[in-house]
Amino acid sequence: MKFIDKTPRIPFMKHRFLFLVVSLLLMGGSLFSVATRGLNFGTDFLGGVKLQYRFPTGAAEGEVHALLEKMGMPGVSVIRFGDASENRLAIKISHPKEAIESYGKTITPELQKAFGAETLLEMEETVGAKVGEELKRKGILAVLFSLFCMLVYVGFRFDFHFAPGAMAALFHDVIVVLGVFSFFGIEFDLTILAACLTIVGYSLNDTIIIFDRVREHAKLVTPATVEEVVNTSVNETLSRTMITSLTTLAVVVILFCFGGATLRDFSLAMILGIVFGTYSTIFISCTAYIGMVQISPKLEKRFGKQS
Amino acid sequence: MSLRWKLWGIVLSLAAALYLLVPTFFHLPEQRQTFVEQEKPVPWYFDLFPSKGLNLGLDLRGGVYIEMEVLVEEGIKAKLDNLAQDIQRDLEKQGTPMLQWSLGENFDRIEFKFAPETDIASAFQTISRATPGLLTKEGPATDGKIAFRVVEGDIAQWKLDILNQAVQSVRNRIDAYGLTEPTVQKQGNRRLIVELPGVKDTERALEIIKKGGKLEFKIVNEALSPTALGDIIAKTREENNLPIRYSFDDLKRLNELMAPSLPEGTEATFELGRDEMGKVIRAQPFLLDKTVYVTGDMLDDAQLQREGRTNKPYVALTFNKTGGKNFGDVTTKHVKDRLAILLDGFVMSDPVIQEPIRNGRATITLTITQSLEQTLAEAKDLTFVLQEGALPARLQEVTKTVIGPSLGADSIQKSLWSLIWATLAVVVFMLIYYRLSGVLANLALLANGLFIFAILAMFQATLTLPGMAGIVLTIGMAVDANVLIFERIREELRSGQTLQNALNAGYGNAVRAIMDSNLTTIIAGIILYQFGTGPIKGFAVTLMIGLVCNLFTAVIMTRVVFEYFIFGKRIERLSI
Repeated sequence: MKFIDKTPRIPFMKHRFLFLVVSLLLMGGSLFSVATRGLNFGTDFLGGVKLQYRFPTGAAEGEVHALLEKMGMPGVSVIRFGDASENRLAIKISHPKEAIESYGKTITPELQKAFGAETLLEMEETVGAKVGEELKRKGILAVLFSLFCMLVYVGFRFDFHFAPGAMAALFHDVIVVLGVFSFFGIEFDLTILAACLTIVGYSLNDTIIIFDRVREHAKLVTPATVEEVVNTSVNETLSRTMITSLTTLAVVVILFCFGGATLRDFSLAMILGIVFGTYSTIFISCTAYIGMVQISPKLEKRFGKQS
Repeated sequence: MSLRWKLWGIVLSLAAALYLLVPTFFHLPEQRQTFVEQEKPVPWYFDLFPSKGLNLGLDLRGGVYIEMEVLVEEGIKAKLDNLAQDIQRDLEKQGTPMLQWSLGENFDRIEFKFAPETDIASAFQTISRATPGLLTKEGPATDGKIAFRVVEGDIAQWKLDILNQAVQSVRNRIDAYGLTEPTVQKQGNRRLIVELPGVKDTERALEIIKKGGKLEFKIVNEALSPTALGDIIAKTREENNLPIRYSFDDLKRLNELMAPSLPEGTEATFELGRDEMGKVIRAQPFLLDKTVYVTGDMLDDAQLQREGRTNKPYVALTFNKTGGKNFGDVTTKHVKDRLAILLDGFVMSDPVIQEPIRNGRATITLTITQSLEQTLAEAKDLTFVLQEGALPARLQEVTKTVIGPSLGADSIQKSLWSLIWATLAVVVFMLIYYRLSGVLANLALLANGLFIFAILAMFQATLTLPGMAGIVLTIGMAVDANVLIFERIREELRSGQTLQNALNAGYGNAVRAIMDSNLTTIIAGIILYQFGTGPIKGFAVTLMIGLVCNLFTAVIMTRVVFEYFIFGKRIERLSI
């Protein structure tokens, strides 16, 4: 069976400016959201206490919140975790006043008194504020460092016209994922950061496949022909791109549906990453490459060739 | 390399992978544990297989992950204080008593203060003899004060020693507590990480780890009555807005603020009574002389015993030679005074010294405020901590993650099902799209999974929940490699190439792209590994192992099978 029998001739590159504008708008929107709404950082980064409980019967977030307020802890957030049938609630206290070790011990018995003795503390996470800061710093460094490594790698294996496109696509993917998470207020913790780094790897993976095909046609590339060559390359690899994206997407969607509440946000990040990764490869990396090849003789003329 | 060798190589590696995974599939380690506990002999065939199975992370097994900071500075201060006390005792015996000592801010110098008439020269001699090479005199003696500088290299060495000692102490405690596969590791130069997988009574385990275990014997100072002392404490708390709390830090702060109101050379502390929840319900103030006469490291042994008639538990201490002597000295000098026995800065009991005790033994009786069971458990823990020795410095919790076993089991189940569904979906798709070659790709996929788990088991790398997600992701990327190769082969065949040439061209071209793309994700994995902790590290490791196995199965394994059919069996057409 084959999806695509003969090499198709879809004019991707003809519409590249339209999609570039779309991407810029997306990125702009994401950056705006991150700057104004900010990211909903988890206890990993903020420090604080996170207690995850499983209740024997339905417990409403409001009830738990009221109980905690009575105990003298007004500034906490109570979120439902998982499906409604699981009766799981997570309590997050981001700027704890006292020693963070004692929160679990004081809250659990009160909850058990109010909602039943089988109220189970499934998970307790306490992070000192200093450590949270450290993790945030390390996380940002990790992302920046990996972007840098990718740049070096691409510059090494391909010629420099390719590199800016690859970088731009990676930035785009990460920023859009951050934007979505920021806009919907989804918790951003260490596992999501790991997802972001994986997306960087995956998106570059995708970009390299197409660039590799263009590299094969390198002799044909001139500023006049580059658009045609790139378009052909994209079409030639189209069946592979579709299959890989669809299968990897199917796999992550399965993870999203069946992987349980703990992996849900992670899978969401991966889904976004795969979709936008594929999109950015075609409409950002290739666009940038075409741009680089077309501009470069003009730049040479302007700045003169270095002898 | 000839085809035959390659085929055998693949068969052998598959067999090796299966061999490595036998303990996991048949739950051998758990069975072995049960045999050992029941004191039954372990069947002989258990030794044929590797002893450990797959190492499940805390988020899959339940357990505790805790990162603690070792308060190294406190440890150094304690060391210096001990040193100064020893010197003080020596000086007293010699007849040149020292009034007090003070430590410099970075604990790099000590200043000794003497009464004006003392013979400073001989005092200086005693000090130098007691601490060869450790202290160097700083400047001449001025108004009865001598300052010494602590050799810098020593302090750095002490800091390292304290950290190592802390790690060792925690390890010892955990080992004796009897937990399976705990890990204690250093992190940086001030922190340690403890992982206790599958621990059931988290609170107790953490108590044992963090318990300072610092035992001290001091004398109660009767200068202020308990009520008067209580008043001073209440006043100080009120003036400085201190909450009524009884942690070590609170006590320290309280003493710092009360120092001018207390007689010189004394400090305050409490005897605490707690309820079943561990909350403080009673706090009796005590005024003590600051001098420490006997410490926990002068113990030879500590044993838990029961009082004959009442069956109340108590701890019987046996001191070593120094301890015995010091104890004898203090009890001789302070007959009819009260001896305060302190644990981690708080009074445990304050018996009256009836007569000098020269046999080097003492007992600590515990007040029963909770149930007998709880007191017994406490007594056991205390004895244990005294036996193992005090921690060289306090441990402060920095990060803690406790995952209940129910959540862990839940996570395993859910992630396994996702793995199965995802693999199934991919298998079906590959069959439909690539026909028989699809079968080959599926076999490669399964072999991939086998290799990943086998390597994880072999290196005892931890499989965490994100790690499972990583494996599910690797499945998607494994498809990519196969697709690249197969699509290329199809293209070549379409353009009229022979079978052999199509194969070579397909692999040749595709492998270049596959290497590049897999390598980039591996780079991401390496960075994640460096910057991540705990579950993220698990994810990075699983991802990298997955990608490497990917490369092996998709590129090498499938090619060998193709070559076998094309060159070996000489087929005419490729079902692809």
